[in-house]
Amino acid sequence: MNEMQFLTWVRGPGLDIAIGIFLLGVLWRLIEIYTLGRKQDVAPGRQRDGASGLHTVFRRSVPPPGMVRKSPVTYIGGYVFHIGLAIIVFLFAPHIALIRDLTGLSWPGLPSQFVDLVTVVTMAAMVVVLFDRINKPAKRYLSTFQDWFTWTLTFLPVLTGWMAVQHLLLPYTTMLALHILSVELLLIFLPFTKLFHTFTVFGSRWYLGKINGHRGVPV
Amino acid sequence: MSDKNSGLIASLAHQGISRRTFMKYCATLASMMALPPSAGRAMAEAMAAARRPSVIWLPFQECTGCTESITRSHSPSLEGLIFDAISLDYQETLMAAAGHQAEEALEKAIEENKGKFVLIIDGSVATGLDGAYSCIAGRTNLELLKRVAPHAGAIVAMGSCAAFGGIPKANPNPTAAVAVTDIIKDKPVVNIPGCPPIPVVMTGVLAHYLTFGSLPELDKLGRPKAFYGETIHDRCYRRPFYDQGKFAKTFDDEGARKGWCLFELGCKGPVTYNACATVKWNGGTSWPVESGHGCLGCSEPDFWDGGGFYRALSMPADPLKMAATAAVVGTAAGVAATFANRAKKGAAKSAHETVTLADLEK
Amino acid sequence: MGIEQIPIHVDNGSDGLSGNASAILREVADMLDRLARTGETGAIDLAALPLTPADKAWLSERLGKGEVEISMELNGASRIHETAYPGIWWITHLNPMGAEIGEFIEVTPIPDMVPSQSDDIVRGSESLNFLINDLC
Repeated sequence: MNEMQFLTWVRGPGLDIAIGIFLLGVLWRLIEIYTLGRKQDVAPGRQRDGASGLHTVFRRSVPPPGMVRKSPVTYIGGYVFHIGLAIIVFLFAPHIALIRDLTGLSWPGLPSQFVDLVTVVTMAAMVVVLFDRINKPAKRYLSTFQDWFTWTLTFLPVLTGWMAVQHLLLPYTTMLALHILSVELLLIFLPFTKLFHTFTVFGSRWYLGKINGHRGVPV
Repeated sequence: MSDKNSGLIASLAHQGISRRTFMKYCATLASMMALPPSAGRAMAEAMAAARRPSVIWLPFQECTGCTESITRSHSPSLEGLIFDAISLDYQETLMAAAGHQAEEALEKAIEENKGKFVLIIDGSVATGLDGAYSCIAGRTNLELLKRVAPHAGAIVAMGSCAAFGGIPKANPNPTAAVAVTDIIKDKPVVNIPGCPPIPVVMTGVLAHYLTFGSLPELDKLGRPKAFYGETIHDRCYRRPFYDQGKFAKTFDDEGARKGWCLFELGCKGPVTYNACATVKWNGGTSWPVESGHGCLGCSEPDFWDGGGFYRALSMPADPLKMAATAAVVGTAAGVAATFANRAKKGAAKSAHETVTLADLEK
Repeated sequence: MGIEQIPIHVDNGSDGLSGNASAILREVADMLDRLARTGETGAIDLAALPLTPADKAWLSERLGKGEVEISMELNGASRIHETAYPGIWWITHLNPMGAEIGEFIEVTPIPDMVPSQSDDIVRGSESLNFLINDLC
């Protein structure tokens, strides 16, 4: 298989398989999770300001007071790479072309130099966050295989995409194919690992906020 | 074709090409091949003095577009004239001889120039039915290639078909077409892909062979690095628009009129290694992107099966076939899991409800 | 619509100089020094280095124009001029469409292309004699 055939495979059958598994997994897990239900809390609800599902959805997007100073790498690093990933995935013109082709939706992109800069910052933040996880005994103790695995799954598409654009190491054609392949791996594993938080993050916040809100505790 | 023993420059002079014009040509050719200026002078001297090199050109499964590209530029190009000036001992399309005479000329050229002639091949080699899909004078292309190639001084695969199999090799490849390098394994082959290839690349390779007695530096796919070293995209004058995120969305929108980047209209420039953006076509008049159409990637292997000419590189190469089925299966799995969970919960609940007064009094 | 109408503005800072022009100027000076001492000639292919239009203008301005200017019609125009520094020649080749296809600086008493070659002189002499014989 030459590099052009490799690229055509990842753009064709490879993408088909990856998106298939992704859709299957996402629908399966979303339906399963949201139909699970909870035992009804028969205790009378307590009202308190700021204690509701909606409040928690927003409150959890902001660090609790004092925590940024206490654990700056986790918070700042976390923000930087999450926002960076969103910019890279949704505002780089070739990515928008893909989304438009798949869904018909389209919006303007950002200049590629800017996206390039964001990519470098994102990768730096991800590496810093990883080192922090290795360095801090508590974080290291809490980490399982899945944490290292999902970090790698997330990092590889960013790295290969950037290397393709910058013409590093391998010819662009091969690098682009590797980039698409790494995204396909991410798509395949996303529904079945903790990366599924991309779909459940606001739902689970709402859920926690609502349960605690019923008890009159703003979380 | 005039006397063989005079140098190339003499036969060029017959066609009204002065030595200075030839020197100018060699200087710009060396510059194009990223050789030092001294190499231009060396080329001019070596080529001028060279006994007209014998060339055997074998056409296989091809469309003659490669020959047209070299011999039929809009005004007589120097590539065409140099091509005329070489001793073209066998080229079916151009030679006067036909039938047995032509085949005799081929055998004679092989015998007279053993180990020295340049073998140019255009078209892919059919291997299906023992090569019977393409025959010349009762011999299959495969036989002919195996007969001639061992005696060649240098082998040039001209055009994408000879270099990579090209259009005959496109799915479903009914003739089991292959590239020259799939047959010739024991000799270096210079690939000059393109559909058609840029004429100056052929003269560049010829000039290098005559001047230095060797082939120019080749890349992994056997292409001269001097011409195929960079992608169309990297040398494209529309590149700044790509970087700014300005794209033509259709062939007649405002972006297309303003000459914005053609990436979204399926331009394969980013994955195509060729010199069109710098050398251009028709004596430097224009080239595909300049005329408003994206690059087809014609100098890359299997460009015909690369997922459609009008689909951006980041778009799927084939329509998604599994998505709908996967969505249905995923939903079904979710619903099945729901019922399973409900049943489990119900069982647990009913298990707890069987607590009796007697149990509590213990 | 031509390329020149497409509004691309390449911004290379205030003066547009990449720094390569001054490097070339030093190399030319070095070559001229060698020519003066040993008679060794030299040449620079201006297409081999990335030069901005401002770089070329800067270099051309520094080298200036000398006494000699030669124009030739060689399957497209070619122009040679000696710069203000004797021994340094600036050569521009155009194709038949008028597009620039090569630009060189040669450091030599006279660029190779200019003098008539001995073979050509022999051929010229033969043709002239033919002409005279025809006249008689």
